[in-house]
Amino acid sequence: MEVDRADGRTRNQLRSLACTRGTLNRAHGSATWSQGETKVFAAVFGPKAGMKKNENPEKACIEVIWKPKTGQIGKPEKEYEMILKTTLQSICLLTVNPNTTTSIIVQVVNDDGALLPCAINAACAALVDAGIPLKHLAVAICCCLADGGYVILDPCKLEEQRTKAFAYLVFPNSLASVRRKGLLQVEVEPVEHGIITSVTRGVMPVEDYLRCLERGRAVSAKLSEFLRRSMQLQAPSESPTAVFETHS
Amino acid sequence: MEQRLANTWQMTVNEKKFIETALLSDLRVDGRRPFDYRRLIIKFGREDGLSEVQLGHTHVMGFVTSQLVQPYRDRPNEGTLAIFTEFSPMADPSFEAGRPGESAVELGRIIDRGLRESRAIDTESLCVVAGKFVWAIRIDLHILDNGGNLVDAANIAALAALSTFRRPECSLGGKDAQEVIVHPPETREPLPLIIHHLPIAVTFAFLGKDNIVVVDPTHYEEAVMGGRMTATVNMNGDVCAIQKAGGVGVMHSVIMQCLRIASVKAADMTTKIKNAVSTSLYAYSPQVESYKTERSQRMIKRHTSTAAVDVSEPSHKEINVLLRHHLERSTIRSGELIASSSNAMEIETQLSEQDEKQRDGGARTFIGGPSNWDPLSKGVDSDALKVSLASRGAVRANTKLEESKIENLDVFEQSHPLADVNPVPPLHEVAAIDLQTKGERTLKDAVKPKHKRKKKPSSKTDAS
Repeated sequence: MEVDRADGRTRNQLRSLACTRGTLNRAHGSATWSQGETKVFAAVFGPKAGMKKNENPEKACIEVIWKPKTGQIGKPEKEYEMILKTTLQSICLLTVNPNTTTSIIVQVVNDDGALLPCAINAACAALVDAGIPLKHLAVAICCCLADGGYVILDPCKLEEQRTKAFAYLVFPNSLASVRRKGLLQVEVEPVEHGIITSVTRGVMPVEDYLRCLERGRAVSAKLSEFLRRSMQLQAPSESPTAVFETHS
Repeated sequence: MEQRLANTWQMTVNEKKFIETALLSDLRVDGRRPFDYRRLIIKFGREDGLSEVQLGHTHVMGFVTSQLVQPYRDRPNEGTLAIFTEFSPMADPSFEAGRPGESAVELGRIIDRGLRESRAIDTESLCVVAGKFVWAIRIDLHILDNGGNLVDAANIAALAALSTFRRPECSLGGKDAQEVIVHPPETREPLPLIIHHLPIAVTFAFLGKDNIVVVDPTHYEEAVMGGRMTATVNMNGDVCAIQKAGGVGVMHSVIMQCLRIASVKAADMTTKIKNAVSTSLYAYSPQVESYKTERSQRMIKRHTSTAAVDVSEPSHKEINVLLRHHLERSTIRSGELIASSSNAMEIETQLSEQDEKQRDGGARTFIGGPSNWDPLSKGVDSDALKVSLASRGAVRANTKLEESKIENLDVFEQSHPLADVNPVPPLHEVAAIDLQTKGERTLKDAVKPKHKRKKKPSSKTDAS
């Protein structure tokens, strides 16, 4: 059943993705990620010596600073920082550089829905640009429940505000996009079926949540593919933009 | 935190000596001459009031937002202007998040003085109901990358953002006209701010024993400089503000020389900003394209539906100001403005040469696209078209007002001799007929035939 969303997309269609890496000069790693109109800038500095208090010195520490577009930093920004921190902590190899701090700074350029997933994607790309050792990449997607009870992906701001409930889901990137074809043998449940982070807002029935997970997983494969392609495209000297239109 | 000290970057003695020695032979580390600016790129976002400026490696973003507030008690009929600078830790590892440091506050103050105290922005026009409601303009400057000379880059970002910002139109209504109704952009076209002049900040650094003066220092030069001075000057030669906070003492003759250089640079920079702004509003560029057509479509729909609407005086004047501006500035850059640095001495001659080069350059970059622009004519076309549409039939130098499309052509025809090198009347007729038969089209389509026609005199091989 095709449904008409405000911008003419179908239920499972993402907005156009664009990723640029290496845009900043002073930062060790930087990336911009845009999904449709939502655009986020991320920069990475690190690893730096020293840690905050109460942090485990046997592991590296991740520090996230979220900068909103305008206005003071308040509770929502702190919440985003915390979610980003725990998400990125789970993808970084923390034992490689113990007793160090890696700072990730996220700057919101424009918010048109699905801001947190966009920021997570940007932060992940920036970490890759900085060369921080990672276990795997993270791909984030936002699924929300439309009025009819079906799941729509990557809502814009209007859709997000009108929906009853939505979920931000972060998956590890799909190994199929990384491994060479032919070597892929799935004996146990693949890694990419795990969820790194799930943040929900609003009330939704359990079946709908499971449906969101399913959709999210399907799209994460596409996102991983896009991510891989944009990483591959870049030579060290240039920073071209990779743009991708997804239809699933 | 002590661990932060371990991470601060220190300048080595070798680097310092190298910079100073190179300056003795009039050479800077990045190959510039002492009075050259770095490459300036001004980009705009999809919405009004969002600008991104790159001056060499320095990267600054400016956002402008507005809000209706109560005015200050001692100025009941003036709007307010507030500048918030964020030295993001993204820009420099030594910048801390949280409270702004000294340099952030100083930067904010310099830009604030340049804009507010020199009355660059007209605050009286921001008043809605005296004593009750005025517009408060808030400028947020985010420093993304510190490559040196943050003041100049941030100032340009603020000016660019202010120039493209549009505030919603509001009117008084309700009982005894005391209620303020803010019209959303769909119903009424938002209004630009009234900007009297553009105050440009030019920063000088004094390096070495002999206090050699350089313009636009990089962050390496800033680490070794003895002192700095920022002069905010506008194109008319007025000095809006001078900031020299401590540092090494310099002779007053040097200060006077710096002011003279600053006024030359200000003229150059003002031209670049104005070109970038007008290009972004009317240019074919992927980032603003759909926004522009969407915006123009909204305007077209509105105009065809409303028959004869009273044009409010201030907006009409503003539009005329815009038209005059654009007719004076007949050279147009491509969507992204890339300007090379120019010599202080021969700035005027070089500027005109650069215009020629960049005009061709601009045209060249668009070869192969769906429409090849001749930047020169495009600027005049689009400006004239937009003005004629926006003024809803009350265009300044226009006589025929039958249909909006014919109207466009007339205004274009009038401004045509001002801009174009070889006017070709017969082709103009063809274009006119072409336009009328096409019926309901977007603004871009309306402009297209003219541009294709324009290319013929300049001998491009695209066939319309």
